[in-house]
Amino acid sequence: MKSLLLIMVGAVFVNNFVLARFLGLCPFLGVSKKVETALGMGMAVTFVMVVASGCTWLLHYLVLTPFNLEYLQTISFILVIATLVQMVEMIVRKSSPVLYQSLGIFLPLITTNCAVLGLAVLNIQHNYSFVQSLVFAFGAAVGFTLAMVLYAGLRERLILCPVPRSFRGTPIELITAGLLALAFMGFAGMVPN
Amino acid sequence: MICRSFPGGTHPPGHKTATAHAPSLICPLPAELVIPLAQHVGAPALPCVTAGQQVARGQVVGRADGFVSVPVHASTSGLITAVEPRPHPCGAELPAVVLQPDGEDAWAEEYQKQSFHVLSVEAMLERIREAGVVGMGGAAFPTHVKLDPPQGKSIDTVIINAVECEPWLTADRRVLLEQMEKVFTGLEILKEVSGAGHAYIGLEDNQPDVAALLAPHCQKRDIGLAVLPTRYPQGAERQLIYAVTGRRVPARGLPMDVGVLVQNVGTIAALTDAVTRGRPLIERMVTISGPGVIRPQNLRVRIGTPVAHLLKQCGVTEEPAMVILGGPMMGVAQHTQAIPVVRGTSGVLAFRRQDVPITTAGPCVRCGRCVAACPMRLQPTFIADYARRDELDLAERFAARNCIECGSCSFICPANIPLVQSIRYAKGAILARRRRM
Amino acid sequence: MMAAMICLGSLGCVAALLLAMAARRFAVTIDPRQVALMEVLAGANCGACGFPGCDAYARALVAGTAKPDLCRPGGAETLKRIAAILGVEVTERPPQIAVMYCQGGLQQARPKYDYQGLQDCRAAQKLARGPKLCPAGCLGLGSCVQKCPFGALSIDARGLAMVDRGRCTGCGLCVAICPRQVLALAPATESIHVLCNNRESAARVKSYCNVGCLGCRLCVRTAPESFVMDSFLAQVRYGRGQPAVMAEAMERCPHHCILNLDEQGNDQILPTPPSARERSTP
Repeated sequence: MKSLLLIMVGAVFVNNFVLARFLGLCPFLGVSKKVETALGMGMAVTFVMVVASGCTWLLHYLVLTPFNLEYLQTISFILVIATLVQMVEMIVRKSSPVLYQSLGIFLPLITTNCAVLGLAVLNIQHNYSFVQSLVFAFGAAVGFTLAMVLYAGLRERLILCPVPRSFRGTPIELITAGLLALAFMGFAGMVPN
Repeated sequence: MICRSFPGGTHPPGHKTATAHAPSLICPLPAELVIPLAQHVGAPALPCVTAGQQVARGQVVGRADGFVSVPVHASTSGLITAVEPRPHPCGAELPAVVLQPDGEDAWAEEYQKQSFHVLSVEAMLERIREAGVVGMGGAAFPTHVKLDPPQGKSIDTVIINAVECEPWLTADRRVLLEQMEKVFTGLEILKEVSGAGHAYIGLEDNQPDVAALLAPHCQKRDIGLAVLPTRYPQGAERQLIYAVTGRRVPARGLPMDVGVLVQNVGTIAALTDAVTRGRPLIERMVTISGPGVIRPQNLRVRIGTPVAHLLKQCGVTEEPAMVILGGPMMGVAQHTQAIPVVRGTSGVLAFRRQDVPITTAGPCVRCGRCVAACPMRLQPTFIADYARRDELDLAERFAARNCIECGSCSFICPANIPLVQSIRYAKGAILARRRRM
Repeated sequence: MMAAMICLGSLGCVAALLLAMAARRFAVTIDPRQVALMEVLAGANCGACGFPGCDAYARALVAGTAKPDLCRPGGAETLKRIAAILGVEVTERPPQIAVMYCQGGLQQARPKYDYQGLQDCRAAQKLARGPKLCPAGCLGLGSCVQKCPFGALSIDARGLAMVDRGRCTGCGLCVAICPRQVLALAPATESIHVLCNNRESAARVKSYCNVGCLGCRLCVRTAPESFVMDSFLAQVRYGRGQPAVMAEAMERCPHHCILNLDEQGNDQILPTPPSARERSTP
């Protein structure tokens, strides 16, 4: 139980996927204009990450390891994740148009999201059990959501700032993201890795 | 007596001494009275007189149009010269009845003074409505609506608002000192009509003489006297209710939601006249003051008297650069002196050129003074900034609609940012958008 | 090697099968026309069509709930293509651009009061209907300038909004935001306009500013084909103006409020009509 909690806290704060591992930066910069959309993206990522980490864990230990095909890890994981996201998108679109309106537009973005693939690979590298890998995925997704929402909040305030002309737009946003990452560095060492 | 204080607030300089101690005078009738048909919140009255008609003092010239509306009366006897759009304190030209006084000043009907005890609650409400009594603190909300809460809401506490937190103004103070008997009678009427058990008079501690005068009377009549530490906007309904009773009116709720009824001193005096003598609201106390006025004083002014006439009575040092109707914090600067005194006008302030510095808004330095000063615990700087950038969603999320427009933030801002104006604009835009959707 | 190929191949097959089944099972039909329309639309997401973004407009077009001629930035070319995709006949609408119908700048128009506050026309309009005596003139606080997504508007030295006719696409956003309706859309081919927006009588207009249209009808009498009166305001009959006579009317206008605008929106001398030129040069 304690180890699960440590994995969770470690994934949310210490090794935050976006701000410490620098994974999944494109949705982090792309859909963080408003807190609402950032939250929607975070939920979509949470869902996909948990399901994908379960599937890839099973794939790795039930298919790849028995046949000594660990070197096919990356390509097969990509295949599985892409299929999964596509299928989720289709199902959501058909079954719940309302959810699709709020969530679905982010799903294609996640298909090729390095954070999801990175998570699957990290699960294997850390030798996590099935349950551990699910908890790690959930923690990572919560960390991702946290970073997104914080950053979106900062960007909403950034609208009001008299930013020098040459820094307006993307430059100041990147600087802000960097400062946020620096702040998260303060968590380093809180949980033994 | 428990005295809490509301959060936030500011301490603008009072400037009250010029008019506080002199007894009020009766303002002579002007050559022409302009009586707007919209002097209250709600539907404007419908004119029921035509040009060329002779009217008596107190005769109805505009009928009430619906429940949230009150009739309008002729302030004196005379000849109706026109019913046409005239400049109104709100800035636009709105329909008004123009009356030329004949000097007789004859009442339409002479009423016998009557004790309110013989009247039923319905009869009293009817008299209040017929007399056109509205909130005279500035908002001009019809009093009979406030006294008649919808099903399921009851009132247990009545508070008389004698706080008068706006600088310069002393009209409420003069009403309280000069018509104290009427105020106490009015309080009895209010308790009778609303069925409230408790009554308080809210006062600021910058008027110790009034407090000392009131104390024995209050004790005799079992009325709580709440002497509150001076702070603006103590006289705002929500802030006063919190300071006196400790109850919080929910955001966008009404005082009746927490069982409280607040009435201004002037309103109570008018209400007493309405109930005991059947007299309509055709006269009110107005403070004429400001650095540009030679003889600042309180005048009892007929509704419809043009501001220019008042300023002539009191004398101005030079052509005033700015004339404000109401107090300097929430009042509205007027672009013409042709506008008349209406039921909600508590003061007329004239400022000289040197008193009105030309300021330009600087950048926000994030000092946070507006946040500390906001009595509604909002963040004015953010709402105003979002309003300026048309980010209405974000302005709404920062609760722009809870703003009471007291002006504390604009007053305190060291960068002279027009915060209240921006927030008011955001409120209007948010409401307009809601109506569209 | 073999195992890898078989493994990955079968994995791919399973994935493909799953996706194919899902696609069959959870099929949602998208009209291919919608995709084609997205290509055609201007893509500025300006909202001038009344829909939140080009995507929403394309969806509404396919659903048949929107008219095809609403994409103003796209102009006639886009309209033609939309019509081709949807297979409908449309009558071509002449391109329009915004015109600011006021010349009453800081020097010309009298103020009602000194305005200090939020630099936004809509906010200023709420205070006693604006700081200018004239109820119809440009306030010059630049709400339209901020709104214009094409940078076609600016506040000039006179304190008036000015339309850069070269940049204006006629999307109408400024027209919608102006609290005094002093901006309006006019055919892009027209360059001569009566630059006043006040329909009140001469006495009132004279009390407001010294460049407003008085309603004297001199222009209508000079060129009855080209001008028309709207209460006390003369207006150009767009599409029917005759430049030669209009030039004469411009000369005779007592307040010089009939102007010929160039690309940047500045006043320019009306080019002499070709017939006159031939006569003057031997």
